[in-house]
Amino acid sequence: MILLSFEAGLEALDKCITLKMDIAITGIGIVSAIGANSQDVLASLKQGISGITNMKYLESEHKELPVGEVKLSNQEMAKLLDIDDYEYLSRTTLMGALAVKEAIDSNGKLNVRGHKKITFISGTTVGGMDITEKYYTQMKSDDRHLRALNSHDCGSSSDAIVDILGFYKPNVCTISTACSSALNAIIIGSEMLKSGETDIVIAGGTEALSKFHLNGFNTLMILDHERCRPFDATRSGINLGEGAAYLVLQRADDAKKEKQNIQGYITGYGNACDAFHQTASSENGEGAYLAMTKALAMASLEPKDIDYVNAHGTGTQNNDQSESVSLKRVFGEKMPLVSSTKAYTGHTTSASGSIEAVICLIAMHNNFVPGNLGWENPMADGIIPTLGVEDATLNNVLCNSFGFGGNDSSIVISSKSLSVCESEKTEYDYEIASSVVIDDEEQLKDYKEFISVAEARRMGKLMKAATITSMKALRDAGVECPDAIITATAFGMLETSEKFLEDMCVNGESLLKPTLFMQSTHNTIGSSIAIRTKCHGYNVTYTQGMISYDWALKDAERLIRTGQARTVLVGVHDESTQTFRDFQTRLGDEPTPMIYSKSIVLKKKED
Amino acid sequence: MEELIKNLKAQIIDALNLEELSIDDIDTDAALFGDDGLGLDSIDALELIVLLEKNYGIRLANASEGKDIFKSVRSIAEYVEKNRKK
Repeated sequence: MILLSFEAGLEALDKCITLKMDIAITGIGIVSAIGANSQDVLASLKQGISGITNMKYLESEHKELPVGEVKLSNQEMAKLLDIDDYEYLSRTTLMGALAVKEAIDSNGKLNVRGHKKITFISGTTVGGMDITEKYYTQMKSDDRHLRALNSHDCGSSSDAIVDILGFYKPNVCTISTACSSALNAIIIGSEMLKSGETDIVIAGGTEALSKFHLNGFNTLMILDHERCRPFDATRSGINLGEGAAYLVLQRADDAKKEKQNIQGYITGYGNACDAFHQTASSENGEGAYLAMTKALAMASLEPKDIDYVNAHGTGTQNNDQSESVSLKRVFGEKMPLVSSTKAYTGHTTSASGSIEAVICLIAMHNNFVPGNLGWENPMADGIIPTLGVEDATLNNVLCNSFGFGGNDSSIVISSKSLSVCESEKTEYDYEIASSVVIDDEEQLKDYKEFISVAEARRMGKLMKAATITSMKALRDAGVECPDAIITATAFGMLETSEKFLEDMCVNGESLLKPTLFMQSTHNTIGSSIAIRTKCHGYNVTYTQGMISYDWALKDAERLIRTGQARTVLVGVHDESTQTFRDFQTRLGDEPTPMIYSKSIVLKKKED
Repeated sequence: MEELIKNLKAQIIDALNLEELSIDDIDTDAALFGDDGLGLDSIDALELIVLLEKNYGIRLANASEGKDIFKSVRSIAEYVEKNRKK
């Protein structure tokens, strides 16, 4: 039962030729603690220079915590981007714009700004929280900084990047699946190219350090007070980092025709859900194992064909144990070179997938393997990471990114194109099998049909509403465990996030509640439904203001059309609070309803 | 000690949002974690760490230290008695 969706996915891969199409990478850009461009990142990696330092730009009380900051102030970044008015621009936006700019410039040939079929897909979870936390208290009392609200949500940070760079009306889409966001952005971009929905994709992620997230991770007691030591017996947690990285993607055929400078190919990818716990990975690394196996199957590669794995390797007890098990399950005795580069960059959370994909490409182009900086002591039953290889030919590398809620993703990057693509494809039709809506808090009273009292104690109204509509929609459609779960939300878990923020702004950066933080990420909903239904299949969360649901639906339709799923649960869920509605009203915006949750089940039409 | 145990139970109910429970429902010696007792999990353990610091000025540097302390309400009370700063 549990593995059905995975097997169905593999079956679909055999049937469906378009899925095996290679995606060409025709531009890369990166901003991180070890350099604000590819050249500087290369130099740091080669010389073994870590970007983990004492805090300089983040105005947090927790000076004892080392971080991987981008070594530029907001003012310096604004200057590089030629922006005068940057007060309400989040660091997420500024770093993102710098990385996208490098990605476009590195291409040189592509008229991205004038192109009509271009899609910008960005992963982030912090969005504009760095600006919100700065002005939140003042926004409650006067209107002076109310404009900061416009840059709060994740989707607006992507819109702002596009505005800064002056694109010609691109489609903009934001993915928020915690620490796997950027890799999922690359995966979704590749899918859109394969299905012909767009011609050029700029995909990746950006994530700024914020007090909110630093304190959140601190409540989980998983931040190391020294430089992080992934896969080391003495490891003691994460160093939070920040940064951004983007890839310009095109169909390989197009890129070849245009004689583009192809920097590598995305030949395989997999997105799976651990469906185990909101913040912890399972001991057997099931989600990670499925993601890697799917990626290898799509690339038609054997484990032995992989030359290097850039591991997620965060440095927490739990991740490194679980990832070691999953790597051993995939590669057995013949473990390729593996390293985590987080002792260089810090854990850049939502941006880590694209930052590490770009690091893989830089390594591939310059024939070396970046080391697991500072590693000394083997951990019990752990993998033995490489300390770096100076002269290496990298044909195929695997890059892992795992997020809260067990949102696990993996991609294969290859130096050469692996498959010849023909345009023949199998298409399947779909139908809407059920639809359930909650738009009034009164409707939450009978939650006990689906939610136990013990579970309810941690659920805000949005989580309750989303659980009820999802479970009812699945029941009405006669589906116990869907093949995929796709969630849309404009503002995410507003109530719990606001409580945590309020607590932090009023009482300071101590004694904050972990329960509130662990529920604050946008993908809390989708992963919680996955845990409930034991769904290990594809799981993503879209957040792009009022069009979040449109993106989610498009994805669900594509999954069924291309034979990758037979049943997909799609939901759009948003909530509001009195404070938030007050901000919106004073700003002249339409206030978000206190609760709105709609779930539908899409089913493949049987012949 | 009895007073401390009573206070701890009330604080646990509040911190963990156990609205449906009253002080009398929590057995002082029953396991807090695992399937037999209250069925708390690792996130609850983190909340209990915050509770200790907030109410008794006790700071645990490492989440794993909580394992022995949080066995039952009685074990927490004994630890608090010995280590409280307020």
